[in-house]
Amino acid sequence: MNLRRRSDKEIKERGASQWAVAWRRFKKHRSGLVGLGMIIVLLTIAAFHNVIAPYPARPHPDAFKPLYEGESAQPPSWKHPFGTTVMGTDVFSEVIHGSIYTIYVAVAVTIISMALSVGVGIVSGYFGRLVDDVLMRITEVFLVFPSLLFILLFSRIYQLGVAEPFWNVFGIKIPVGLTIVVVIVSIFGWASYARVIRGEVLRMKECEFIQAAKSLGASSRWIMLRHIFPNILPQVIVLATLTMASAVLVEAAVSFLGFGDPNTITWGRLMEESLQDLSTVWWAEVFPGLAVFLTVLAFNLVGDGLSDALNPRLRE
Amino acid sequence: MGLAKYIIRRTIYMVPLIIGISLVSFLVMYAAGDPIQLATAGNPSITEAQRQFLREYYGLNDPIPIQYLRWLDHFIHGDFGKSLYGGRPVNEIISSLIWETAKLQIISILLAFFISIPAGVYSAVKQRSAADYTVSSIAIFGISVPVFWFGIVLILIFSYHLGWLPSAGAHGAPYLWPVFGIKNEFLDELAHLVLPVTVLTFANLAYNVRLLRAGMLEVLRQDYIMAARASGIPERKVLYKYALKNAITPLLTLLGLSIGGMLAGAPVTETVFSWPGLGRAYVTASLRLDFPLIMGITMIITIMILIANLITDLVYAWVDPRVTID
Repeated sequence: MNLRRRSDKEIKERGASQWAVAWRRFKKHRSGLVGLGMIIVLLTIAAFHNVIAPYPARPHPDAFKPLYEGESAQPPSWKHPFGTTVMGTDVFSEVIHGSIYTIYVAVAVTIISMALSVGVGIVSGYFGRLVDDVLMRITEVFLVFPSLLFILLFSRIYQLGVAEPFWNVFGIKIPVGLTIVVVIVSIFGWASYARVIRGEVLRMKECEFIQAAKSLGASSRWIMLRHIFPNILPQVIVLATLTMASAVLVEAAVSFLGFGDPNTITWGRLMEESLQDLSTVWWAEVFPGLAVFLTVLAFNLVGDGLSDALNPRLRE
Repeated sequence: MGLAKYIIRRTIYMVPLIIGISLVSFLVMYAAGDPIQLATAGNPSITEAQRQFLREYYGLNDPIPIQYLRWLDHFIHGDFGKSLYGGRPVNEIISSLIWETAKLQIISILLAFFISIPAGVYSAVKQRSAADYTVSSIAIFGISVPVFWFGIVLILIFSYHLGWLPSAGAHGAPYLWPVFGIKNEFLDELAHLVLPVTVLTFANLAYNVRLLRAGMLEVLRQDYIMAARASGIPERKVLYKYALKNAITPLLTLLGLSIGGMLAGAPVTETVFSWPGLGRAYVTASLRLDFPLIMGITMIITIMILIANLITDLVYAWVDPRVTID
């Protein structure tokens, strides 16, 4: 090892917080930035979907305006950038309106499955012994389950009992069927992450600062919340981003196969509706699918960027 | 612990798992309501007496615990009952479809496995080269693309636009698909396989390559690789013998998992390509709430996954001397 003076840049980096360093590293990750840009575009579209979309969302009768104008099943044009469907709706508008559901699915699934996996992972890893044994056996059962099949079956069955299509929470209409799908996808998706987090906690439990906190008489809850959780947060953030990607993908597949919420026009459902017209109206399949693809790609790119930026093992 | 003893213990451990999974699926389905009512809801001409007859025929009038025990009894004797639609025995339906699914999946899984090895190794060795960026980009594309959309795009291009390949089914009989003007059954089958196999291989390949590339990057940094290189061992041998051996274990686990999950793995792809397999049958059965068929397919898949997990663990212990059976 050679002795040398630290460069100004290194001194600056040493002084910066962990998060500032991570952000600096992330900024150098070109594809991660592209992904972040795509997510920002998606959020903007979702926020202003009523302004951007030329036609309102179904069930508003004006959604079928192209039909009355004799423009159903038209290929993409300036007036209808993504074309129109056989039943006479504008694909571009419907994709724009669908973006809010995509964001809802991504965020809600991530919150539920991360809460489950972080909770189980920390408790299991920290307490060990019997608690660990029981929780890990339960986790294994969820890992053995052929999850997509169960997601399909459960979505089908639990939507039979839906009477009201929407819940009205403070003026926001929350689709009930879609929420059922979200909960089911989360329940079948947390197990592998819980294992990853448990592994991290096991590694960390042996660290001196945890031992020090214990010998100072800190309670288990304090140690888990104040010492362990902040230290696994970088891992959790990376896993959360990847969960968003897979949640969007799984929900799209569920809707595409006809198991989605019949009252919610998600991207997957748009594809399901027009599948029978594939040979003639290809645009009604290609554009909603492209939206799913780009969204998932964006989350995966950000996830890759974050895991490079936050993974301390790869830090040079 | 001896190998035989280990296998026996693991097999015994599977029993509660199988019973648990069957119980959960059974309860969820039968709590959903009367399958006869659900199945006949769209039929205005059916009478209540006929419904009652169907309930009696399928034994749905008994209390749910009795029904479950009867199902379990039949299951232990290898009988899954009859489909609610058409009354065909579930065993017969499953055995007529299982081969088509297995054929599709085995080809894709093996193709993905063997393509990913050189791609992953090369990508890791030439990290940050143009080839690495290409491989990594294709891989991230592969994990992000919705399989159904990818399948549809391939159908649009290669079936509808170019007319090169069939878009649906596993066989063209009686109208065989001509391959370069030749019509025979083997080529017809091959032509039907191309698109679905491409979609599935691509999806599997992406995960494999990412996993192997990350593993190789980790291993190539180790001292023993430097030692091997310093001893003048040819680079090819260093990479494929010493490095790969250590980086390949996660890939083997994934291979085991995909073989285990293979029967469950493709409901989406099978639906897009109208492939006469188990995945598509499961989708139709779930949409129509054909409970005996759903139970049958679920159990076959679960057992398959459990057996594959056991084999994976055994292979793992055999490949990696750090892991021992215990």
